[in-house]
Amino acid sequence: MEQTNAMLDELFAEARRNAEAPVSPALLARVLADAEALQPAPRILEAARPRGWRRFVTLLGGWPSVAGLATAALVGVWIGVAGSAGLIGGELGSDLLSLGQESVLADMDQSYAFLVD
Amino acid sequence: MPYDSQEDTPDEALLVLYANGDAAAARALTVRLTPRVFSHAYRMLGDRAEAEDVAQEAMIRLWRIAPDWRQGEAKVTTWLYRVVANLCTDRLRKVRGIALDAVAEPEDDARGPVESLQEQARMDALQAALNRLSDRQRQAVVLRHIEGLGNPEIAGIMEISVEAVESLTARGKRALAAELAGQREALGYADG
Repeated sequence: MEQTNAMLDELFAEARRNAEAPVSPALLARVLADAEALQPAPRILEAARPRGWRRFVTLLGGWPSVAGLATAALVGVWIGVAGSAGLIGGELGSDLLSLGQESVLADMDQSYAFLVD
Repeated sequence: MPYDSQEDTPDEALLVLYANGDAAAARALTVRLTPRVFSHAYRMLGDRAEAEDVAQEAMIRLWRIAPDWRQGEAKVTTWLYRVVANLCTDRLRKVRGIALDAVAEPEDDARGPVESLQEQARMDALQAALNRLSDRQRQAVVLRHIEGLGNPEIAGIMEISVEAVESLTARGKRALAAELAGQREALGYADG
């Protein structure tokens, strides 16, 4: 029995060496043809399209542009708020509020005087 | 171009690449897995043509499941062994009674004729003895002693306990030994 077991182990070892019996090229070709026929089409990984406000930000040129725009807007508001009292109080401001275009131009620069005449 | 130029890439990763449309992954998986699938089917069925059909069918199932493959749940080879076993069992049920122990024709190869015939005779005798085992015993013995898998993996493939695998392989091996006991000399094993 021991001898038979040893023979069996040798047979298994031999079978293991041949475990991957040569596969016929025809079978490989059939399997590969199936693989290609059933393979999903290549997926092109598109960058996710931005939606909503992210899309709006993208249209404006991204976050750096938005930051610049926001700064400009804040500065505009600040000038509007802080500068209005001074402008209205000054001569130029009151002229703007009460007079016509000609006196404003004349006040700004005498070289515009010929336009008034 | 080498057939399997991605030999370091795990099967699971290749399957993901395949599902993403990578043609090289299709080739690599075909070349890597078809021989294993075919060999296992051949050991189970003892018939090359039948084994080729089973191998092709098992690989078709792999291609189909690739897009839905869940990483980390099972090894691709474990899954394939299970599919092959099921396909073989179905076929064996259908052809039961039709010369299951028919020995495959020896095939030519590059070795010397005497050596080649002797080795072929040994493999045929082993296959014939395997064919006389029950399906479950044969599957367990082939997975353990020829494919070289561990008992826990075999238990996963056959969906039984490790103890049941041990019992099947032990009984299968005893039956094989009894079957082959009288053929030592005929198979080229000298006494002593």
